[in-house]
Amino acid sequence: MKSFTYTIKDEVGIHARPAGLLVKKAKEFESVITVDRNGKTASATKLMALMGLGVKCGETVTVTVEGSDEEKAAAEMEKFFSENL
Amino acid sequence: MKDKIFGVLQRVGRSFMLPIALLPIAGLLLGIGSSFTNATTIETYNLSGIIHEGSVLYAIFDIMSKTGQVIFDNLALLFAMGVAIGMAKKEKEVAALSGAIAYLVMNMTISALIEINGGVQAMAANSTASVLGITSLQMGVFGGIIVGLGVAALHNKFYQIKLPQVLSFFGGTRFVPIISTVVYLAVGVLMFFVWPWVQTGISKLGTLVLNSGYAGSWIYGILERALIPFGLHHVFYMPFWQTELGGSALIDGQMVSGAQNIFFAELASGSGEAFSVSATRFMSGKYPFMIFGLPAAALAMYKAARPEKKKVVGSLLLSAALTSMLTGITEPLEFTFLFAAPLMYGVHCVLAGLSYMLMHILNVGVGMTFSGGIIDLTLFGILQGNAKTNWIWIVIVGLAYAVVYYFVFYFMITKLNLKTPGREPDDEETKLYTRDDMTAKKTAENGTDNVSALILKGLGGKENLSDVDCCATRLRVTVKSSDKVDDSLLKKSGASGVIHKGNGVQVVYGPQVSVIKSKLEEYISSLSSDDFAGEKEITLCSHLNGTVVPLESVEDAVFSQKILGNGIAVEPSEGKLFSPCDGRIENVFDTKHAINLVSEDGAEILLHIGIDTVKLDGKYFEAHVSDGQQVKKGDLLISFDIGKIREAGFLLTTPLIICNSDDYSSAEALAEGRISAGDKLLRLSR
Repeated sequence: MKSFTYTIKDEVGIHARPAGLLVKKAKEFESVITVDRNGKTASATKLMALMGLGVKCGETVTVTVEGSDEEKAAAEMEKFFSENL
Repeated sequence: MKDKIFGVLQRVGRSFMLPIALLPIAGLLLGIGSSFTNATTIETYNLSGIIHEGSVLYAIFDIMSKTGQVIFDNLALLFAMGVAIGMAKKEKEVAALSGAIAYLVMNMTISALIEINGGVQAMAANSTASVLGITSLQMGVFGGIIVGLGVAALHNKFYQIKLPQVLSFFGGTRFVPIISTVVYLAVGVLMFFVWPWVQTGISKLGTLVLNSGYAGSWIYGILERALIPFGLHHVFYMPFWQTELGGSALIDGQMVSGAQNIFFAELASGSGEAFSVSATRFMSGKYPFMIFGLPAAALAMYKAARPEKKKVVGSLLLSAALTSMLTGITEPLEFTFLFAAPLMYGVHCVLAGLSYMLMHILNVGVGMTFSGGIIDLTLFGILQGNAKTNWIWIVIVGLAYAVVYYFVFYFMITKLNLKTPGREPDDEETKLYTRDDMTAKKTAENGTDNVSALILKGLGGKENLSDVDCCATRLRVTVKSSDKVDDSLLKKSGASGVIHKGNGVQVVYGPQVSVIKSKLEEYISSLSSDDFAGEKEITLCSHLNGTVVPLESVEDAVFSQKILGNGIAVEPSEGKLFSPCDGRIENVFDTKHAINLVSEDGAEILLHIGIDTVKLDGKYFEAHVSDGQQVKKGDLLISFDIGKIREAGFLLTTPLIICNSDDYSSAEALAEGRISAGDKLLRLSR
């Protein structure tokens, strides 16, 4: 299992557009990817759950990656977060 | 080996609990009902004015007595089914049905053999009984228990049997009633020849007891108690109560035989003389241990139960103890420790025997209609006066018995760590169910409609499966095309790994896999039936008044390229967003420009007002619903100011997006051009 934390810099937080991109990215991997905001979690492949987290700018989320390609997935997800959020 | 036998005995004991839970109420009905419909009782207390045949009160007591009686009369059947249920590992309802069938078959076999061999007259006296209207051997509860245990064993062995193709209809659980019928026909034949020997042995013992004074009373008491588990006590004591085996006496010029008959004849004659102890020696001994001893034992079991189990065990023991005290029906209490702690039952038998002997020595002359509870003690002891009955000794000896029973039982339970109620280890089964429940709950919280649906989809759908099985931790599936298997979906369903071998797929779930497998099978079979679980098609209605815009034409790549999912958009002519279906609000965005809802049929819908309107940060939007709220089609969700938003430089095209588009094979537009809110807009098909 791999995990990293990330503080959201996008001023509107994880709303529809970034959430959609995040899901698209997460679906590229076999690993199960979870986003945790203050104990509330959502699977990164479930768009609605992800939007339901209501993550805002300045908040810190923990992303957990577990599965066969977790090394690669974690690295690319971290890159995705820094580029898009 | 010893542990195994012990374990089986404990399960047997636990399986008794279902029928036993019924006994207290049956006992109360019978005890109270029969006491007040007994002609002697009515006459003795001059109640014939209000209780006589034809009076309402008599009818009530009569019904009470008979409804209680029917349960006791058919206790063997209840045990045949109850033990089968308790001992069966799975598909318990089949075991119950088989238990009932086997019990009928066994008794009918015996009945036919009795008929063939000259009918009831040719059998030993008191050796036959009417069982559900079938003339059979008097086997008591024991008959039910051998059926229950045997059927459960057959069931556990055969409920998954595979028969050759031509006979496959009769395979699996259907085979269990069939094999039970055949086996218990044979058991019936066996019993017809074996059981009379058992009965003969018992009646020989009776003769021995009669000829041996105080010691005889003691042995009588021990045997009477020891035979209860086998249901043979009736065969044993009835001759003493009802035939010359229990003595004969000349009362008011009439020759009366049998201990109970003698007592009631003396009661009816109303003479001032004391009751014959030579008769009541077969009865009075019940009082001290039934009213005082056993309830104290129940208290000991309660005290020895684990703290977290005390509440549950307490109610069971309290009702059983009260039943014993009031009516003298002791089976509910005795069966609670009989199998868990046979040694304790042995001690109980010895003490019970001693009680009969003490009553004999102390000249206690209290009879009974049925058993030794407070009701009978009051009617036939206290109200008759101490001069005739010496009933006071029952209380004195009883109090001593309470102390003895309490300390002996408590000491034995704690020292020998006996598994009386509330001390048994939690068995694996319960834990498994709990874990299963948790998974189900988790699933529900995540909003996933069904783990099985996910698994099936991950496996490439129903058409892709050729065989599903499981071992201890893995779902073993043979698929038609391994290309269609989606590992990531399987992992989302909770699998820790997926292994491919040609067309064989193993999905690793851990020990709960058997539950997952049976649920998956259930789910698949529900799909094969015509009434599909969950709609195949969902129709969503327009969320706005305005003009339909194909999603591809929306001026935002995230929508037009369907990154968020498939769907359709509407260019609004009015600033009111309505619900496109019945469902539940999942989440209203803080910025109120978008809303998530889940339709009743499980479609996850995003309604997003305008393009890039997140930047307005809620300005010009007003939400009329909140998270978690149930909504109906056409309910107003959000109102917004079209003019102001346009002025601020934003497009108002409002997409309706299906977030879980993967769950549907197509999303078809049902309208174009102008549309009113509530008109059919989009059809989703699985």
